[in-house]
Amino acid sequence: MQKKAGPLFYVFLFVFVFLVMFPFLWILLSSIKPLSELFGEEAFNWFTSHPTLKSYVSVFVNYPFVKYLWNSTVIATITTVYTVFVAAFAAYAIARLDFKGKSIILGIVLSVSMFPQIATISPIYMFVKKFELTNSYLGLIIPYTTFALPLSIWLLVTFFRKIPFDLEEAAKMDGATPLQTYFKVILPLAVPGIFTTSILVFIAAWNEFLFALTINTAEDYKTVPVGIAMFQGQYTIPWGEISAATVIVTIPLVIMVLLFQRRIVSGLTSGSVKE
Amino acid sequence: MKNEKKSERRLAYILVAPSLLLILAVAIWPVIQSFYFSLFDYRLNNPAKSSLHLDYSLNLERYLESYPFLMSALKQEITQATGDEKEQLTSIQQKLQKVDEEIRADEEVAKRYEQIDEILNNFEVPSEDIKIVSIDEQAAQHLTKTINETKQTLKTLNENGQLKQGDKLTGLANGLSGAVIEPNFVGLAHYKNYLSDARLWKALWNTTVFTVISVSIELVLGLAIALLINKAFFGRGLVRATILIPWAIPTAVSALMWKFLYDGQNGIVAKYFADIGIINNMSELLTTGAGAMFAVIFSDVWKTTPYMALLLLAGLQTIPSSLYEAASIDGATKWQQFVKITLPLLKSSILVALLFRTLDAFRVFDLIFVLTGGGPANSTETISILAYKVMFSQTNFGGGSALAVIVFICVAIISTIYIKFLGADLISDRK
Repeated sequence: MQKKAGPLFYVFLFVFVFLVMFPFLWILLSSIKPLSELFGEEAFNWFTSHPTLKSYVSVFVNYPFVKYLWNSTVIATITTVYTVFVAAFAAYAIARLDFKGKSIILGIVLSVSMFPQIATISPIYMFVKKFELTNSYLGLIIPYTTFALPLSIWLLVTFFRKIPFDLEEAAKMDGATPLQTYFKVILPLAVPGIFTTSILVFIAAWNEFLFALTINTAEDYKTVPVGIAMFQGQYTIPWGEISAATVIVTIPLVIMVLLFQRRIVSGLTSGSVKE
Repeated sequence: MKNEKKSERRLAYILVAPSLLLILAVAIWPVIQSFYFSLFDYRLNNPAKSSLHLDYSLNLERYLESYPFLMSALKQEITQATGDEKEQLTSIQQKLQKVDEEIRADEEVAKRYEQIDEILNNFEVPSEDIKIVSIDEQAAQHLTKTINETKQTLKTLNENGQLKQGDKLTGLANGLSGAVIEPNFVGLAHYKNYLSDARLWKALWNTTVFTVISVSIELVLGLAIALLINKAFFGRGLVRATILIPWAIPTAVSALMWKFLYDGQNGIVAKYFADIGIINNMSELLTTGAGAMFAVIFSDVWKTTPYMALLLLAGLQTIPSSLYEAASIDGATKWQQFVKITLPLLKSSILVALLFRTLDAFRVFDLIFVLTGGGPANSTETISILAYKVMFSQTNFGGGSALAVIVFICVAIISTIYIKFLGADLISDRK
């Protein structure tokens, strides 16, 4: 942060932001066009002179879109809460307690987070089929553990390490057991880190595609990414509805990112920068 | 003091255990199973191959649904037959009886035999686990041979009109023939097949092209952007949020969005690209092999460059500015400062970002599945897409698992190479 920004810099910044946002902008503009203006001559006009909300209405009337949103919310929330809960204990032990095999465990966690999903899908598919969990929430929550748990542990370990070690020493002097130290001293200080981890895990679970595509195939249990991707029929692609649905799922995301950008960035970069 | 250490250690193991067990159960075990599946001719749509059989086995439900009825029908037929037919029928009756005894000679099989028989007599359905019993190879082959002979004899007699209940008898004999299950263990045959299959090499090549080109562009662009915005300016938060949106949106949704923008007739991006001459005409983007690969890479660069920039920006901000001040006092040019200070100090950030991005790109699935489906003519088919198609379109789980294991091995090789460069930095305690 040593240099001050000049006017040329802001021009560059504006162009950059515009390019990054252009696809969204275009989708937003398309979503309020009447269907006839999505094709042919008028397809390349930026602004329509007959704005309409027909596509938005259609998304909710002709597709079980509310159901998709609900499914995604339930699955992503439960996945996040349960994996972060389990991971918090492991991360505390790895970051703060002294025991053998620490780096091996962390190594396992890191390698598992690099596993390609396709390498686990056939046994997991057979498993959920055998226990009749296809087309259920649990049928996705269990497989989602494969990426959510390593991610949670990895992020939480870096957050737990940042808490000053003197605090623990002090608690120990006062005669607190490690578990008391955890609940009374460390956990309250780790709340921001846990929150950040939860946001990132939630986004990862919300966006997952391959498991959702293969395991929950019934309309009633599809998640948002699969639901929208399957809007396209065999011969026609309803671009109006797709645009509207994209805008609907992007807006809460934009709000979330605006609110939590600082946290998300700290979470994304925490594992990769030596401090 | 020593006791305290011990109890701390015990607590640590207790705290780590649930996570480790879960990871073992849902991630490591499935990978091992994938490898095991890949050694079998495992097909979901074929009843004889829809589970894994190392040995010959017998489907007792199927066997007992036909065998007793076949025997009693034969007995009835024999009492009414004369001469040559009687002899033939008696002969097959005896043979079947003999082979049935041979199967039941094994104690384990005999026990299961009774059990299933009782279940069937009560008109209940036996569960998958108990109805299949492994039998020894000789008995199995003997049984298959006898059943085939029976089928042949009955068929001939029936065609000649020499049987009273011909259709019933042949039907029962046919029912019996599906009861013997041959082992579907094929060893490394899937690997051998795929490694000599041009489609696999094409898919690996596509994956490599996609990974190398998109990750290099993302690194260069990401570094440039990080260097440019590494300063104080108005609206930092807003820019940061903008950068995060492409990263946060589900890949499947952004892929669909790009499909609209690339559309050969109505896509705005296709039109602009054609206008400025990157492509000859609008439809080229999604209908030609090179166009589709370009389209896929372009979408990936759009989605992940910002993420790369953020990672590198965080790395840049840890470089103390005093280093640059000292360098410029010594008369170093901007370029010299970049090469001698920025790059060396940014090395571990760059490697970590590259590691994560390379692995992500190598296992790419959603983006290509939604945007091109691997087409046109498999020109954007990556190895994950190929494995998915083999598993879920051809329902060939054995072959698909072999491909999945190949992806896994590639990913393992790539990470080993990176980790070699990174050293143990990544997992060491940073106190």
